[in-house]
Amino acid sequence: MAQTRREFIKKAAALSAASYAGLDLSIDRGSVANANENISWHRGSCRLCGVGCRVELGVKNGNPVGLRGVPEARTNFGYLCMKGMHFWKCMGHPDRLVKPLYRKKKTDTFKEISWDEALNIAADEFAKAHKEGGGEAVAYYGSGQALTEETYFFQKIMRGGLQSNNVEGNPRLCMASAVGGYLTSFGADEPIGGYSDIEKAHCFFIIGSNTAEAHPVLFRRIMRRKLDNPDTVKVINVDPRLSQTSRIADKHLQFKPGTDLALLNAMANVIIEEKLYDEDFLNKYTTFKSGKETVDFEAYKAQVAEYTPEKVVTICGNSFSADDVRETARWFANSKGTVSLWTMGLNQRKQGVWANNLVHNLHILTGQLLKDGADSLSLTGQPNACGGVREGGGLCHILPGHRPVANEKMRTQVEKAWGVPQGRIPPKPGLHTMAMFSAINDARIKAIWINCTSPVQSLPNCNLYNKGMAREDVFIITTDIFHTLTTQTANLVLPTCFHFEKTGVYGCTERRSQLTKKAIEPPGDAKPEVWIIREWARKLSEKLNDPVIAQCIKPFEGLEEGYELPKAIWNEYSQKLTAHRDNDLRGATYEVLEQMKDGVQWPAPTEEYALTGGTVKKFVKGRDPMADTESKDDLPYQFYGPAHPDRKLWIWLRDQADPEEIPDSEYPFYLSTGRIIDHWHTMSMTGRVPELLRANPYAHVEINPKDAQKLGIKPGDMVELTSRRGVNIMPAKVYEGPVEGMVFAYWHDQHKDRMINKVTKDAIDPGSKEPEFKICAVRVKRVSGPQPLKPYLVG
Amino acid sequence: MPISGVVISCSPGHRYTVIKNLNAYKSVEIHGADHRGNIVTVLETDSSEEMEKLIERLNNHDHILNIGMTYLNIEDEAERMARGETTTKPFGFKAPSV
Ligand code: SF4
Repeated sequence: MAQTRREFIKKAAALSAASYAGLDLSIDRGSVANANENISWHRGSCRLCGVGCRVELGVKNGNPVGLRGVPEARTNFGYLCMKGMHFWKCMGHPDRLVKPLYRKKKTDTFKEISWDEALNIAADEFAKAHKEGGGEAVAYYGSGQALTEETYFFQKIMRGGLQSNNVEGNPRLCMASAVGGYLTSFGADEPIGGYSDIEKAHCFFIIGSNTAEAHPVLFRRIMRRKLDNPDTVKVINVDPRLSQTSRIADKHLQFKPGTDLALLNAMANVIIEEKLYDEDFLNKYTTFKSGKETVDFEAYKAQVAEYTPEKVVTICGNSFSADDVRETARWFANSKGTVSLWTMGLNQRKQGVWANNLVHNLHILTGQLLKDGADSLSLTGQPNACGGVREGGGLCHILPGHRPVANEKMRTQVEKAWGVPQGRIPPKPGLHTMAMFSAINDARIKAIWINCTSPVQSLPNCNLYNKGMAREDVFIITTDIFHTLTTQTANLVLPTCFHFEKTGVYGCTERRSQLTKKAIEPPGDAKPEVWIIREWARKLSEKLNDPVIAQCIKPFEGLEEGYELPKAIWNEYSQKLTAHRDNDLRGATYEVLEQMKDGVQWPAPTEEYALTGGTVKKFVKGRDPMADTESKDDLPYQFYGPAHPDRKLWIWLRDQADPEEIPDSEYPFYLSTGRIIDHWHTMSMTGRVPELLRANPYAHVEINPKDAQKLGIKPGDMVELTSRRGVNIMPAKVYEGPVEGMVFAYWHDQHKDRMINKVTKDAIDPGSKEPEFKICAVRVKRVSGPQPLKPYLVG
Repeated sequence: MPISGVVISCSPGHRYTVIKNLNAYKSVEIHGADHRGNIVTVLETDSSEEMEKLIERLNNHDHILNIGMTYLNIEDEAERMARGETTTKPFGFKAPSV
């Protein structure tokens, strides 16, 4: 690079960073114009976590050459994290899949075939399976990384076309308990508030989330709030493991895995004992529930009275005091605004829904909801778990627009919108994820389409489920940008476009839908999923001689795939399927989304309203248009969500309940799993980026120094982790992170010795069907000193 | 030569210690700091890989709480990649034996 150009770019970089800190540098602003010469900037979202940071991709001569944050975006205000800064490298990566690949038998090697051949095979195999076993013999397994248009379109073909509710997605593995929690506590899925509460909060209750590493840009906002108000803002971190998030905490409560239900009940007990609850709010807006019964405040009071701080300290493992519990409860209740944040630590549990309910209970009890600076905010791991899968109908029991599939009226609405005969969508929900892969194990499902996810690696107790995927009588299609362990079990691998190589919408944690438009060409013959679905469905209609399948794609025939096609799909979804639903997105048209730097928060029934940014607080009259149109009385808050006929918030009486597996003499340690800042999910994307791979090339297991000493384990030693299901061998990191008696392993590694889901347990929450990844029992043994290891990726 | 604009944040009380520490890095240019613990920097390294290592080291610093990136230019690397001069395939992984 010429010296002058380098100087221009450095000055532009300095000015960019300085503008965020409010510093005025004496640098000539002409440098920015020079640095940007011949670069076109394209606005979109980062796709590497659920925060939804807005980013501009710089493109020169068709190649990505730079990235910058969007300062006006209310998600990230221009900041990005290291992980987000590297996603451009997936674009030109030589490992990208660029041709359809096929093999008749899974033991054969793949050969390249044309798209026409590939789509014919895909249609033949689905038609064959359908003729043999109807809708129950076919399945779609999608992803929180797929665009909303993709999830919506796939499920439309499955349900309206193939009459199958076997529509699932990996959010079942991470978000299902949060959905269950919101529906049962608030009567409606997704949070009431959002990120804007962070800057107004006075207390943060972070439980089961390492926000600093998993959601770094959001953590920055929490950190700023705390550092700018050190005396008036409290941060409470509740987690069995100390992490980077704990660095800003005023109080960290470490507990034995699975005992947090008792702790949350103890906090409620203190709040009631010390009369810190909001009586008026409870009287107006709350119902108390115990199982199927409606009970009253006194019953709830009596139930939580069992959880005295002293007793709970013992249950939780004696690593904090009864006064800590009292103080935590007081901070929570007395602050001018409390925001709770959590992720998988609460969700990936056999008691996941209950854990979510108990956090919501505290907010309802104290009225720490519906006002600025207060919210019960579940963070999502993937960029479009909310927008695509939860809202777009991507799970087996829900249709688009938060409609339960079992409800006839709801099915009829969808059938009408699609112009398919009434009764076309089967009334019975399909198989949830673990049931779906069990059905593959015994070949009840004969053909499955796996889109943009790698269940071979990401299912718990994966050895068991991988057997089914290896069966020759189950035909597997995968759509992805790279090979994964799952493509290695497929018959047909279809190359797709990456982000910014196609157009579509992501909906992030805070009910915000944001558009990313195509900015560069995909490599080779890679195609957007929406094109693949349309072309496949047309062939399917011919092979099954079923005009209803053709009807499902009729509105989209002939449209150009880079922009017009996804736009038409979004248009159908938002205008017809979200109208008058709680996620009303009619105002969030492509025209509006293109204008908005940071998208639109639903409900947003009109374009005019959507252009303001949409609804910051749900259920509040004057701030949420649906709270006004759905109002039934004079009260300022209107809980119009679909799941609570009494239009109240529900406080649940839930007792402490153990996880499925607790340590015993044979398997004496708890194992918990999670992800690190640099890697995301199964690493098929981040693992291809050399910088991210090298930072943490292989998984390791964190062990508390006291446990390490007892077991004779030194840093870097190779350690064997054995559960009742499988074994891993990985290096040890001796670290004051996990609480004594617990080890913690990362789950991004694809190597067979370090794939932690061979060890994890597949117990599921009975309500949400989400597996208990977070807790199981293991044996820990040193096997050798440090060994040189090589990172491993499927190539 | 990737170049990035980065706001490094620490608790205000540790600002001077952190700045002193950052001064020791050749690839970190400090452009200013404010009383809130925000330090405005430009990072310039020989490769993205070096930048990553640098950020990783900074992230592990006791008093650094967050590394907020605002701008990244990688045009040199991108051009070399487009010309096929450098490869982003450093791993040489073999296909799995399934
Ligand atoms: S916080 Fe998440 S969305 Fe934001 S830049 Fe980082 S990875 Fe991307």
